[in-house]
Amino acid sequence: MFKKILFATSATEASDHAARVAFNMARNYKAHLSIFHVLGVPTRGFSQVVLDVKTKQEVVLDDEYVAWVEEEVKTHYAKQLETADDYDIKVAIGFPHREILREARQHKPDLIVLGGTTGDPEDSVYKKGMVGSTLQRVAKAAPCPTLVVNRPAASFWGGMSNIVFGADFSKASDKAFDFTVKLAKAQGCEVHIFHALDISAMHMGRMLTQDEIESGIRKSLRRIRGRYVAKIKDDIKDYGFDVWEGVPYVEIVKYAREKHADLIVMAHHTSRTSDEDNRLGSNIEQVIVRAGCPVISVNK
Amino acid sequence: MPEGTLCNRQPIDTEEALKTLLGDTGGKTYYGEMKSLDVDTDLLWTTIQNTLKSRMKTWLEICAHCGMCADSCFLYLINNRDPKQVPAYKIQSTLGELVKRQGKVDNDFMHMAMETAWAKCTCCNRCGMYCPHGIDMGIMFGYLRGLLYQQGFVPWELKIGAGMHRVYRAQMDVTDEDFVETFEWMVEEYEEDYPGLEVPVDVEGADIMYTVNAREVKHYPEDLAEAAILFHLAGESWTVPSQGWEQTSLAMFAGDWAACKMQVESVYAAMERLQPKRMVGTECGHAHRATVIEGPYWAGRSTGQPPVESIHYVEWLAEALREGKLKIDPAKRIKRPVTLQDSCNYVRNHGLKEITREIMSYIVEPGFFRDMAPNREHNYCCGGGGGFNGIGVFRAQRNQALITKRDQILNTGAGLVIAPCHNCWDAIRDLEEEYKIGIEWSFLKPLVISMVEIPEHLQLKE
Repeated sequence: MFKKILFATSATEASDHAARVAFNMARNYKAHLSIFHVLGVPTRGFSQVVLDVKTKQEVVLDDEYVAWVEEEVKTHYAKQLETADDYDIKVAIGFPHREILREARQHKPDLIVLGGTTGDPEDSVYKKGMVGSTLQRVAKAAPCPTLVVNRPAASFWGGMSNIVFGADFSKASDKAFDFTVKLAKAQGCEVHIFHALDISAMHMGRMLTQDEIESGIRKSLRRIRGRYVAKIKDDIKDYGFDVWEGVPYVEIVKYAREKHADLIVMAHHTSRTSDEDNRLGSNIEQVIVRAGCPVISVNK
Repeated sequence: MPEGTLCNRQPIDTEEALKTLLGDTGGKTYYGEMKSLDVDTDLLWTTIQNTLKSRMKTWLEICAHCGMCADSCFLYLINNRDPKQVPAYKIQSTLGELVKRQGKVDNDFMHMAMETAWAKCTCCNRCGMYCPHGIDMGIMFGYLRGLLYQQGFVPWELKIGAGMHRVYRAQMDVTDEDFVETFEWMVEEYEEDYPGLEVPVDVEGADIMYTVNAREVKHYPEDLAEAAILFHLAGESWTVPSQGWEQTSLAMFAGDWAACKMQVESVYAAMERLQPKRMVGTECGHAHRATVIEGPYWAGRSTGQPPVESIHYVEWLAEALREGKLKIDPAKRIKRPVTLQDSCNYVRNHGLKEITREIMSYIVEPGFFRDMAPNREHNYCCGGGGGFNGIGVFRAQRNQALITKRDQILNTGAGLVIAPCHNCWDAIRDLEEEYKIGIEWSFLKPLVISMVEIPEHLQLKE
């Protein structure tokens, strides 16, 4: 299922947790691991100068510098590389999200693995002149599922056996579900289909009555049965489904914890990011930040 | 040493030579060799005799040394009113001397002239507006750069930039295949959000042929997607040429006259081939100057015009908004203090000052637009024009030059600067990086996309 994994890394501590998962997965699935690092963001017009993403210094690019950074990446992952046998390391120049997507388009990995935030966005050279985080942009446009590990707790990973699928009944969500089913079948996982009835923002601050909430829950349960359960009941033995009310991302994280999930799968909405009000797709981003396990975002 | 292996009078014409020069990190060997590069004084004088025409001869002669140009030059103002930064002095001490001495100058002189031509003038042409005789030092510096380029005294990055145009017909190593592929990729990425979005390549007889800046292709192809989206929403019949798509000209900054001609002819050939009604260029100032204003003369076109009517992106955008092809959702207009950078190349040099303000009237909530002072054709250069942005050896001077724009922006109190010009956009980005004044900056395309109404029949249906 995972033959080619693209691990996009900042080669800093921020990516260490993701690295643990990426190397584990590559080992377990005998996948080829491409370690991909965008070393610098172009600056100063048409010049050869880039801002090094780690040192934040201006660097004049040449082959020697690129080779040196490659060596640095190797050193950073020296320990993991000892036991990895099928991998390559590549460094690139450009805006990280764009270069990661370019690499993914060219080499068609089955999965992209990304680390968490690289710290203060104000200070990060990744932000230069671009709206939205690398993660947002990669997750939105990636041609394959994107796995993100943000918290250290999310990286103590023993494999995939128990998936929580966060459903929102959108088209993208259907794609995420298809992926969940494929994965569950291949790995023999338990699947928990979950929907959170949003009672926070949807009703313009009006308090919902308990009757309204419960009728909403019943309606969502019906939709889950019709849209998802019908598709898997013959193929997957261990499955369940629930609808809880609350703030969606909090409920998903709580639910995953309760079910001892080792993976959450959700759709990253295709809704255009140009609206740039950060609510779009913010549920999955909040889940990524908070979850105690890796989160896979699926779009296509 | 007559000529170096890297620093010499030969233009870069092959990919291999380009890579070799690029491999010389920061131009270390290149500038080292330049220190002992001989001046071919005969060639220099012959070239001057053949190319220095009556306009510039007159300008050099009639300068009254009145000093009116001094205060018009932001580089003079920002460098403690150093007399050596007075435009008249700068040109008389370089081009003026070259002519006076009939080209008999030495290596030191050429070094001084190079620094003056690329680090003391951005060819913003502001001085020309204040000179009582109408003498335009910017034009003369553009000419001087040509003489210096021919002798091999040109900043490393610009020798490379001109070489890129010669090898790729683009300012960066982006091939025609890369261009089409990238544009298609962007459309794939966005077509789910914008059903029916496409990139029509090489369509003959379209209303619009769109040309771009290679940096969009190389580093931020979102810009290509945004252009496609806005044409799509406006219902335009448009196309991009698979050859001749690069509108910019680092060759112009470098003074590589032959490469200027090659580059612009590739765009004109695309116009001739596809016969569009009009060409629309991207949000770039010098690209407009190169392809629309100066290009026809480089290409020897007797009309002084490109083969088809050619307009700047802001002209197309203003028209689309005016005619209702694009409709702005009033609720989404910019509702915070915002200012506008007037690009020298199409505002001062091509009169588009009211067009950009018309756009502001559509996209900014009344009361939130703050003009810089001075503005329109009197506006100052962003600080990085004419190639200044990209030249490593003159970085310190360039950073100093950004102060004028920094203070102009600060005085408006605006938190957002709209810069419909790649060079200005870069300079403003860099000044934020350098001086951290807490501003944001943007091209027009992403702003308009964030507030445009999607016509019913193009809406996403789910």
